[in-house]
Amino acid sequence: MRRRDFLKTTAVGAAGISLMGVPFSAEAAQSINLTILHTNDQHSRIDPFPDDGRKYGGMGGMARRATLIEQIRKEEPNVLLFDCGDIWQGTPYFNFFGGELEYKLMSQMKYDAATLGNHDFDNGLEGLEKMLPHARFPFLSANYDFSKTILQNRFAPYKVFQKQGVRIGVFGLGIELEGLVGKKQYGETAYLDPVATAREMVQELRQNQKCNMVVCLSHLGYKYEDGKVSDVTLAQAVEGIDLILGGHTHTFLDAPELVRHASGHETLVNQVGWSGIFLGRLDFTFSKKTMQKTSLKTALLPISRPVTAS
Amino acid sequence: MNKHFSKGLAVLALSLSIAGCQRPWAASPTLGTTDVPVDKTLSADPQLEAQIAPYRKEVTLKMSEVVGKAPAALGKGDYESPLGNFVVDLQLAQAEPIYGKPIDLSLTTNGGLRVPLPEGNITTGNVFELMPFENELVVLTLKGETVQQLFDYAAEKKFAPIGNATYTVQNGKATDIRIKGKPFDANQTYTLVTSDYLAGGGDNLHMLKEAMQTERLGLLLRDVILLQIRQLTAAGKPVTADTTQRVTVLP
Repeated sequence: MRRRDFLKTTAVGAAGISLMGVPFSAEAAQSINLTILHTNDQHSRIDPFPDDGRKYGGMGGMARRATLIEQIRKEEPNVLLFDCGDIWQGTPYFNFFGGELEYKLMSQMKYDAATLGNHDFDNGLEGLEKMLPHARFPFLSANYDFSKTILQNRFAPYKVFQKQGVRIGVFGLGIELEGLVGKKQYGETAYLDPVATAREMVQELRQNQKCNMVVCLSHLGYKYEDGKVSDVTLAQAVEGIDLILGGHTHTFLDAPELVRHASGHETLVNQVGWSGIFLGRLDFTFSKKTMQKTSLKTALLPISRPVTAS
Repeated sequence: MNKHFSKGLAVLALSLSIAGCQRPWAASPTLGTTDVPVDKTLSADPQLEAQIAPYRKEVTLKMSEVVGKAPAALGKGDYESPLGNFVVDLQLAQAEPIYGKPIDLSLTTNGGLRVPLPEGNITTGNVFELMPFENELVVLTLKGETVQQLFDYAAEKKFAPIGNATYTVQNGKATDIRIKGKPFDANQTYTLVTSDYLAGGGDNLHMLKEAMQTERLGLLLRDVILLQIRQLTAAGKPVTADTTQRVTVLP
């Protein structure tokens, strides 16, 4: 098995407090922990990959993921669970049941939100509409305009989550469907420029919704040679997103990518391969004090933590 | 605990050094591994397992349904093969009634046909393994010069079976092309049934993007393979391929 090099760090508070010499434990009391868990490109992988010597054989499985998530929920006070699209397509479960079981299981796991991937259009807008009642979590989509389709008003562009007073604004971005999905499937769904849309979302979430943190659920893809818009180009082009969780390119990253803007604002980009082989986990700590009066970056201190001891 | 503490201090030290610089203070994240493996060490959640069980049972049942019988395995090969011929021929047989008129040519590539069809019983699962992709059939209308390029591609690459045609490979080029028995006419247009994936330039079939017209049939390739096998079985016929020679390779 791949050796995991987890940071053996428990919560580290905001440095500002440490500078004042507040003891470590007291400092922890001054902070709020937020655990963000995420998946992408599940591709209907309900059961683990057959353990037959293939790459990632024996890994994955939604019932196991549920155990892992439940374990983390017991340990952590503030957990958000997201998916970045392409929930569907890849095993006969989808062909025979149209995505019903995937949505039901994700609802059981208490996903907080997801965004749409290109394969989530595979059964057409009708197929998507038919399955939506099985999902007890919202699909966030800011750059698909469904207003001329049967799915109008079914998807919000963003949602704001509140955890111990920390406001986390989450919005969704999808990939251009033309060329990837048949016209028959996506119909009159209009595509909006993801960069311009993201700028509007940041403005809305920071200014109007007073969010302390902005998260983008993206199915744009991690990075492309030909300069096509991706999570990395989005991170570079738009300031004010703290975290971009991605999908589509099935990218396994050794560590999240960090993009730093001239102002000092930092955007993290992460993606966890495909098929639920891994669960993405990012732990953020917010200072209760600075959260009130400074921008998020001054208070944010992400650390990764082991789920199980040793 | 000690270890935790020293790591914590290291992060603080980093934060302090950044604070010393002339930029707004920001705690640079320590970018460690953030993904957690979902592996055998985790037990399956019993509630979800119970929810999956009836679906899994039905999938297993459907996948193991025997839909046909092959006296010999249908495998892949250079230029033409039992599996390649079987697929290009059934694409024509299944597409024509939907298209409403005869189609001139049919194309697939060996890369798209993932595994051979086995000798003996053929199950739905076998067909899923052969065609795991959701490729859809399309009918392209091609100019004569595009058709020539397509045959040259097939002659050079060796992995692109073509139905309704015969040709000779000479110095890596296609000559003596016959379509439905008639000599190929570069001034004529031809229709071709293939997958939307190949029509979009997949497998470097860039010339197909020059199609004058693309018509979708609303048929999944996997579904028509299954249908063809079911129809053969219903008619009391085994699953076999036409193996009449289609490509002649000159030394």
